[in-house]
Amino acid sequence: MTPTMLTAHALPASAECRCVLADGRVLTVTASRRPRANRADVKCVVTGAPAISERMQEVVRLARHTESRFDSRDQVVLGMDIVPAAEERGWELAAVLADRKVRGLPPFALAAATSTASSAGAAEHRATEIAAATAVSKARPRATSPASVAPDSPAPGVPRLYAYGWSDAWHLGRVTGQPAQAAVRAARHLAPEDQFIAGDDGSADQAPQAGVTLISHLGALSGHADPSAAVSSARAWFPLHSGGINDTLSWVEVSVYPLEGPGVDEESTIAAPGLDLTVLNTLRQTLSAARHFDGKGLGRWRTVVRFAQPRFQGESYQLALVMADRLARGREFVPRGRLIASGCSSAWHAGRVDTVEGREPKLELILKQAAGGDRVLLPQAWQAALPEQYQKALKARGASLACISQIGMI
Amino acid sequence: MGFFKRSRNQSVEVKGLGSSLIARRLDDVRAAPTGSAVVWQKGEQELVYCFHPGPYQVDVTPFAAAPEIGLRLRFVIEANPRVSQQRFDLYLFSEAAEELGLADLGAAAQGALQHELAQGGLELPPCTSLEEWHAFRAGLNQLLYTRFGVTVDDCVPVDLGDSIDYAAVLRVRATAPVSAPAPACPSAGEGAVRSVPAPAAVDRAADARALRRLFLELPALTGGIRLLILPKGRDTFQSHQAILQRLSLLALSVGSMPSLEWHTPDQPLESAQQLRRIAHSQAAAVALDEAWALLAQLQMQSLAPWLERADEADRILANLEYHLSQRRIAYVDQDEQPLERREPKL
Repeated sequence: MTPTMLTAHALPASAECRCVLADGRVLTVTASRRPRANRADVKCVVTGAPAISERMQEVVRLARHTESRFDSRDQVVLGMDIVPAAEERGWELAAVLADRKVRGLPPFALAAATSTASSAGAAEHRATEIAAATAVSKARPRATSPASVAPDSPAPGVPRLYAYGWSDAWHLGRVTGQPAQAAVRAARHLAPEDQFIAGDDGSADQAPQAGVTLISHLGALSGHADPSAAVSSARAWFPLHSGGINDTLSWVEVSVYPLEGPGVDEESTIAAPGLDLTVLNTLRQTLSAARHFDGKGLGRWRTVVRFAQPRFQGESYQLALVMADRLARGREFVPRGRLIASGCSSAWHAGRVDTVEGREPKLELILKQAAGGDRVLLPQAWQAALPEQYQKALKARGASLACISQIGMI
Repeated sequence: MGFFKRSRNQSVEVKGLGSSLIARRLDDVRAAPTGSAVVWQKGEQELVYCFHPGPYQVDVTPFAAAPEIGLRLRFVIEANPRVSQQRFDLYLFSEAAEELGLADLGAAAQGALQHELAQGGLELPPCTSLEEWHAFRAGLNQLLYTRFGVTVDDCVPVDLGDSIDYAAVLRVRATAPVSAPAPACPSAGEGAVRSVPAPAAVDRAADARALRRLFLELPALTGGIRLLILPKGRDTFQSHQAILQRLSLLALSVGSMPSLEWHTPDQPLESAQQLRRIAHSQAAAVALDEAWALLAQLQMQSLAPWLERADEADRILANLEYHLSQRRIAYVDQDEQPLERREPKL
């Protein structure tokens, strides 16, 4: 590489992903990047377990087939701190996620800045962080051997990533697992700010537990539909404001599959397990009205709606729900990252978007959580009241913002 | 030669030219149909194409995951009087076979658009605002001109719901068995070439096509990058020069690429290694497409983001260098297991 090809990589030099194994031990997969220098693209180090390190390399390489961007400049070195049992496979998802995180792929784009960037002036904040990060990497050009990194507990408040899942078709990005058991085992280790991603075995009819993200394929981390599945599921995120520290971005997932035979009442084809009747009714009315606006939406689909967090109040989830529905039905442009929306409407049949409450905390939360490629949709009424530099700060994180009065093109 | 003896009266009709057919190779230049332009490339093998300038109309799907929403493109093939070789002529000679149909160009344009949207070079987010739409249109026009040499004069979003039924697509997926096979031999050393599934049989033509594209297009791409108007400054100048130098070395590497079938003279290469070489030459052609898309971006906004794009340029060039060096290597030991680590100790 020529020295003049300077670049500020905003990427972390190393990343970790944890996995609570079936026997209760906590395994940490550590991934680090270093210049390729004619070496293999992925190197795996598991001391004393060559078969597992070979399997890990195969898994990571297969999962990379789902990515569109290829970079031959870096080698990723993956290591495990303890040796899992030979029949254990739950660490596979952790290895794949660590490999993605260290290369800054969605949804981990700029994940390093997420925890610290404050609401205003995030752009400058990020710039200094990059400077600091490059200074550190210059001072220590050689990553320490991942096997020797002790899995010490980081400072409290720094979110950690947990994962449990495996796949027989990593090249298609499919993920499966035992989410219920994994969640029970992990519950002991999870701090409130931690993220737990589990492979979905499709058996969970009940709503997932709080704090657990279930995915059945890797694209679901950005809300995208699985391109090879017969059920089209898309997710959109909405800010859930609950008075300060417990604010989170919560997702809603809409799954559609073809309806056999026409002539059914639209609202009876929409199901949402685990939801109150009143919320369910509003949701059904919202979706059927929005499909009426769409023109080709009615009478074609059987629909299941799931929420990450089924207990909430208010109607600001509606815009996210409607957009997830349009994405799932293949009738909306697809954002590169996640779609984050807040808004409701009294006239979905006309495609109108009305304003919702809680502007300030929601704006702050969105800015804090937005990552590269995300698309933020807010009601038109918020446009005038946006803080100065808000749009710029979002853009600096790689996300884009639109304040809309109507869904659909322009 | 007889190029100048052509008389209008003699010309024949080529079926579909100007509607479903854009260009066609001619064996006899005198047989060029009326209303079409003729381009030829002199060389060992003389190639003559006739094409109709259009206008053409084609529907493309910008996102594979959203098949019911599309863009209707209307484009023409226009000559730019300021350049010595038209980009469309280069596209014809480099990539077109006997015929270039509208469907072929539409599929290629759709592929380029989808790839660019996935990479983030173009943005077409949900609920696009007017401003974003204009930016997208400008980027799309430049991409299709730089990559294919066609001039887009109209582009509107369309509802493809009448022609494509996503529900029917899903029904087919539900009944069809899961067919996509695992990519060949992913754990085998450096044989893991991404995004290009290894073909089952040795496809020499594919290798030749990819190398021919690289041979013809790398000099033109270098020329395009050389002509960029860049902000003043030492860093910019040096990185620009470094990119040009690396491109020249790449062109040299393509020009001296060893043939596919031979390990050394008199010693044929086994087919697994040939497949590996083919996969790498095709991956290099994909990187070439990315380089054209990057050139389009740089032509659009040549002032501010040069140093930001330098990383992207570095990535694409590094990928090209990597794939070409792998194409050059005759033999990679695929049985070498990662168990015996022989990497240099740092």
